[in-house]
Amino acid sequence: MTSFKPTRRTLLKTGTAAAAFATLGPAFLRQAAAQDADLAPYKSAQIDWQQVSGETITVAVIPASYFENLIALAPQFKALTGIDVRFEKIPPAQIRQKSVIDLTSKTGTYATHAADPMYYALYAANKWVEPLDTYLADKSLTDPAWFKLDDIIPAWRSANGIDGKLYGMPYDGEVTIQVYRKDLYDAKGLKPADTLEAYTSNAAALNTPNDRVWGAALRGVAGAGQNMYIYPSIFREFGGDWMKGGKLTVNGPEAEAALAWYVDIMKKYAPTAAANWNWPDIADAFSQGTVASYIDAHSSASVINNPEKSKVIGKVAYARWPKGPSGKRTTSIWNWGFPINSALPEKKRKATWLFIQWAASAETQARTAHKFAGPTKRSGVNRTSVWKDPDYIKLMNGFGENFVEATMGALQDDTDVDWRPRVPQWPAIGDTMATAIQSALSGQVTIKAALDDAQRRIEPMMRG
Amino acid sequence: MATTAVTSAGIASEAPRSDFGHVLAQRERRFAAALLAPAFLALLATTTFPLLFLVYTSAFRMDLAMPFTNGFVGFENYQMLLSDERFWTSLLVSLVYTGSTVALQVIIGLALALLVMDMKRGQGWFRVIAILPVVLSPAVVGMIWRTFMLAPEFGIVDFLAINAGLGSKNWLGDPTLAMVSVIAIHTWQWTPFAFMVLLASLASLPEDIYEAARLDRASAWQRFRRITLPLLRPAIVMVIIMRTMVALTAFAAIFTVTAGGPGTATEILNLYAYRKSFTELSIGYGSALAVALLIVTIIISGILFAMRRAK
Repeated sequence: MTSFKPTRRTLLKTGTAAAAFATLGPAFLRQAAAQDADLAPYKSAQIDWQQVSGETITVAVIPASYFENLIALAPQFKALTGIDVRFEKIPPAQIRQKSVIDLTSKTGTYATHAADPMYYALYAANKWVEPLDTYLADKSLTDPAWFKLDDIIPAWRSANGIDGKLYGMPYDGEVTIQVYRKDLYDAKGLKPADTLEAYTSNAAALNTPNDRVWGAALRGVAGAGQNMYIYPSIFREFGGDWMKGGKLTVNGPEAEAALAWYVDIMKKYAPTAAANWNWPDIADAFSQGTVASYIDAHSSASVINNPEKSKVIGKVAYARWPKGPSGKRTTSIWNWGFPINSALPEKKRKATWLFIQWAASAETQARTAHKFAGPTKRSGVNRTSVWKDPDYIKLMNGFGENFVEATMGALQDDTDVDWRPRVPQWPAIGDTMATAIQSALSGQVTIKAALDDAQRRIEPMMRG
Repeated sequence: MATTAVTSAGIASEAPRSDFGHVLAQRERRFAAALLAPAFLALLATTTFPLLFLVYTSAFRMDLAMPFTNGFVGFENYQMLLSDERFWTSLLVSLVYTGSTVALQVIIGLALALLVMDMKRGQGWFRVIAILPVVLSPAVVGMIWRTFMLAPEFGIVDFLAINAGLGSKNWLGDPTLAMVSVIAIHTWQWTPFAFMVLLASLASLPEDIYEAARLDRASAWQRFRRITLPLLRPAIVMVIIMRTMVALTAFAAIFTVTAGGPGTATEILNLYAYRKSFTELSIGYGSALAVALLIVTIIISGILFAMRRAK
């Protein structure tokens, strides 16, 4: 960056800096941070942004580009509110544990953190985080006409709510869709699958391991957010109900049929290694041209469109989750949201809310997405209005045919907030189920035995 | 009388000196204690206290997912543990893993040491290359093996297996192969340690005994059985003890390679305790599992130490 400095100064003098600014990205934003014109869209909100000026808060996020973009804008937030934000980057695997330890010990280390929606039931049961409705209703803290809560993707909001109360504000999210190689499908006259059955037959038609092309890939590695991210959708599509008669049920005929479908497609048409793959491994394999289609988070589109690594750019298209035998689609929805740590003193809680409101606002979402000067594209913005912005649509459609339609269709129509059992015991249940699914996939035990064993282990967890 | 006088005088004259010495020694001891105290306290705070706290926690139900059920339960966690099938499976996996990795490390390490002892040139180079795996972090080793070596169709090991006519194998997705793989990885990483220790011991064996044995026409095998092995015994037992204690509590490599999977095929006790505590958030039961692992480790190393003393 330093080597650019003389150039920048010269350009500034000649007044032709605009183009150069764009390439300088974050540095430019920091420079421009204090400019009043930049803050105007925020100042139109009918609240006093400076009311807790001088506070410092720590925010834990994961090292991902969508948070990097936000961190780059933090000086604007400081100029607007006088609040200092210290960011701590923690890998996704550890952030859940670290935040739970912080919340249990009530040390208030993290004012807010990138939170997994499946943890809100646990957080709420322990009163570790604040219900956000009081903050949303407080006229001195929130201008509802400016913030427009309804504009935030409803599926993600409901995923972050427990008993109708919102506990975390979605910042960046994802939805699961079908990703396929249009060139391979066209060559065989195939269409993207509308049903799980068709998905299997498409995979069969394209599966040619001798040419190093496999028909399909789904997450295989065990974990609550790994194989247990994909299986619950299949379970629900086969007519499964987590809370059968008010009792958490993970076995039974629907579960067996769903797991059988998953094991069958993984064994017959996925690369053998996929049994240990998580989404980055799948996206890598797809980008190398060895997988004809996969069902996973729409956010993996940035990996398969990375010009430095991908061999399939321009050959990718998208479709919604195929329908299950029950006739419905149930996609996996997920987001990183920001809750407020209850252990904080009142002033810090207010400062945290101002930060969350700023980060989730339409203006900041746009500034970290298509209006961001850096090279990274955010495919998980939280606002319906941004998803309708022509500039944003143009940017997103660069990922391949039908990207925005498939994503928005899935987000609006294919979601079911209870696609996973939302109970405080989820971390234990998710891990138990994940192990059972992998046991069945590896042939360690039969499908029925795996599910019955999981049910036996989960029952005492629910009894308390 | 005179003698007594002398004696008493002697005693009298010595008594203050020994008193003085005693005071000095006491002061010195106190000074030493003062110097040691911070280190001792630090040791207490970082090792003994957490250990006691772990045992204390294991007597409670501490479930972060259901805080309303928390409370003192006495030995209930241990009773649950005895009837927990997954505990026994993970204990068995731990024992198989430890037994086979330690045996392999000693056998391969000894074989390499014997080979290298006879090398005329390049011994130094060989030692440097051989020690490399030990220097790597187990988590890095795990990542390397998982992605570059063992991935079916894409990894080096699988490539070699296909070329050797064995066909592509699901190294980490098949319960038996996954166990074989994690044992191979641990052995690969830690054999150099056994190798270095045994090589150093081999180098210090007295040459004249071998000379005498050769004069008595003892065969190479006889020399190995009757001289080398008995003389190396202390070193071998030491290697076994040290490697056993580490293998029982292995974690990072296995965690990154299989995370205990597929299913529970490679879930050693340490990993199960971790998952119960930090993934399932059952801290009390997880602590009981950790205490169980501690007891198993103490018993096994106790037996090994006893074997070391027995001649």
